[in-house]
Amino acid sequence: MTRILLRNKLDDCIAAWQKAGFSVLAPVKRHEMSSFGEVRKADEMALDLVLTERTIKDQFFPQTEPLIKYKIGKHQIDSETMTPPEKKRVFFGVRPCDASGLAIDDPLFGWDYKDDYWFGRRENSVIVTIACSQADDFCMCTSVKLSPDSTKGADVMLRPLSDGSGWQVEAMSDRGTALVETISSLLQESSAEAAPVPQVAEKFDVEKVMEWLADKENFESQFWKDIALRCVGCGSCTFLCPTCHCFDIQDEGDTYQGIRRKNWDSCSFALFTMHTSGHNPRNTQSTRWRQRIMHKFNYYQGKFGVNSCTGCGRCTRQCPVDMGITETLQAITNLPR
Amino acid sequence: MGIQEQYRSEAAALLSSGEVKLVIGFGAGSTADRRRPLFARTPEEAQKFVLDAACIANLSTYLVAEGLLSDGKKVGVFLKPDGIRSVNILISEAQLKPEQVVILGYAIESGKDVAALEGRNISDFSIGEKIRKLTPPPHVIEAAEKIEAMSAEERFEYWKEEFSKCIKCYACRQVCPMCYCRRCIVDVNQPQWVSTSSHTLGNFEWNLVRAFHLAGRCASCGACDRACPVNIPLRLVNYRMGKEVRSAFDYVAGENSDQKPVLASFKQDDPETFIL
Ligand code: SF4
Ligand code: SF4
Ligand code: SF4
Ligand code: SF4
Repeated sequence: MTRILLRNKLDDCIAAWQKAGFSVLAPVKRHEMSSFGEVRKADEMALDLVLTERTIKDQFFPQTEPLIKYKIGKHQIDSETMTPPEKKRVFFGVRPCDASGLAIDDPLFGWDYKDDYWFGRRENSVIVTIACSQADDFCMCTSVKLSPDSTKGADVMLRPLSDGSGWQVEAMSDRGTALVETISSLLQESSAEAAPVPQVAEKFDVEKVMEWLADKENFESQFWKDIALRCVGCGSCTFLCPTCHCFDIQDEGDTYQGIRRKNWDSCSFALFTMHTSGHNPRNTQSTRWRQRIMHKFNYYQGKFGVNSCTGCGRCTRQCPVDMGITETLQAITNLPR
Repeated sequence: MGIQEQYRSEAAALLSSGEVKLVIGFGAGSTADRRRPLFARTPEEAQKFVLDAACIANLSTYLVAEGLLSDGKKVGVFLKPDGIRSVNILISEAQLKPEQVVILGYAIESGKDVAALEGRNISDFSIGEKIRKLTPPPHVIEAAEKIEAMSAEERFEYWKEEFSKCIKCYACRQVCPMCYCRRCIVDVNQPQWVSTSSHTLGNFEWNLVRAFHLAGRCASCGACDRACPVNIPLRLVNYRMGKEVRSAFDYVAGENSDQKPVLASFKQDDPETFIL
């Protein structure tokens, strides 16, 4: 016997969480785009999507974020730190890959200093993951050692019942236990079976990839130049990635006052590494593409012991020229050794 | 012989004779319904070309890639009429030399059949009359009319919602053959003309700047619209700008390579409605 939550209890569930002081965010499709948005009713949720186009990352690390308000006076500079709102939030219906993305980025935002913006939101959020019941051609979680029912990053894990009527509920953390407590009267004991987890084929051998990347001989390989030829250098793959986290600090305002902001930036952009002298150490798209792959499967691994990829497949799904990391990692796997 | 086989062997011939250094075409993509740009430098690589109704991308954007044509050598490229229009515009804006491009032209008819277009040099393609008659698909016109029928406030709200979605990934710019500036205005930061922040105001600035910079220059290939990862209907922006230019100047971009860029030239009888 396990505890289950029935689909037809979702409205009550949202109401209970709101009563407990939470905003509820779930996959929604609005204005022709799917993302995580606040919901008040269950029928606003788009729970049948394989994945939202935008990732849950946006809700923790927004595309633009005000940091400091400043005013420059004759003799002094006044500044005011703009701390993120301490809203309590439930994220309902997160896919295992996106939930993993948050866990993968935690060490990055807490490494040399604790990023209050990230952790302020992390600590006030509860992640309710729903295991996948479908996958598309681009999904590749299993290639990076995750799975369609991975619990990484989840505070509560929901596993769909085979008849589609609801989910098995399992709390995975203290925060999750507390959240489940708030809806305990809506849950019931049941022996209903969980649906089988979809098969996601492994698309590359990540160990082989990491070994090849670690070999310094390969850094200047012709491989990079050939594989990146068609990349047009947009920011789609990085901005839609649940783990890409690069940003730029910008002051916006006039001579006397303004706001300092943290804006998303992308290693795909030529400007990303441009020096003020005009010299650009990554002056071709292939060096920029190499950076993206190296960062994810070599540098990040070296620093934090984990690869910076969840296998969500968005970088391929949304690339205007059908690139994405899958093809590159497959090609590396198949290189003659 | 089907067009795919025909163009494979033509591409191979161009490469083996040394007439071109590179042929840009399409290859198989990551799924059965996808095609991806493929660069062939040898006759063998040319055998990988695919040409069918799924080959919808406008490959002319690669012709203005930094350094590609700087050695004076020729490049072959698979283009459908919107790509040919793009090449016309690029030539009229002095970004390409006509003799540097060998065109393997094709057209997709009724969404499924692929037909070869006669000619290899840009001047062989007289598509001027044809593109005058070109009308965008009915759903675009319908959507555009719906917006035009709105009150100014409603229209503003509509675009505010749409542009708020923008994440400034610049995919629209990167895939556009006409966005060839080596340093785009949004990348100029001394001074910072356009905010890099992707808030509603910054997004408006970016999308409006781009709309104005493309006025009278857009080939209506739809690449930007397809590339936008957050599905902003950029086709409606392009459609409206094209309509304005056409009604004010009787000008359709890309008719031929002898055209003078409409907003960079003047005629004595240009309307001067803005001069009071
Ligand atoms: S791989 Fe695709 S999405 Fe990423 S920068 Fe290149 S063209 Fe853009
Ligand atoms: S690199 Fe691609 S597959 Fe990996 S997490 Fe990012 S978007 Fe997803
Ligand atoms: S603006 Fe869009 S539709 Fe027009 S030429 Fe550029 S990519 Fe094509
Ligand atoms: S492609 Fe779309 S999201 Fe990206 S910059 Fe252009 S309008 Fe914005």
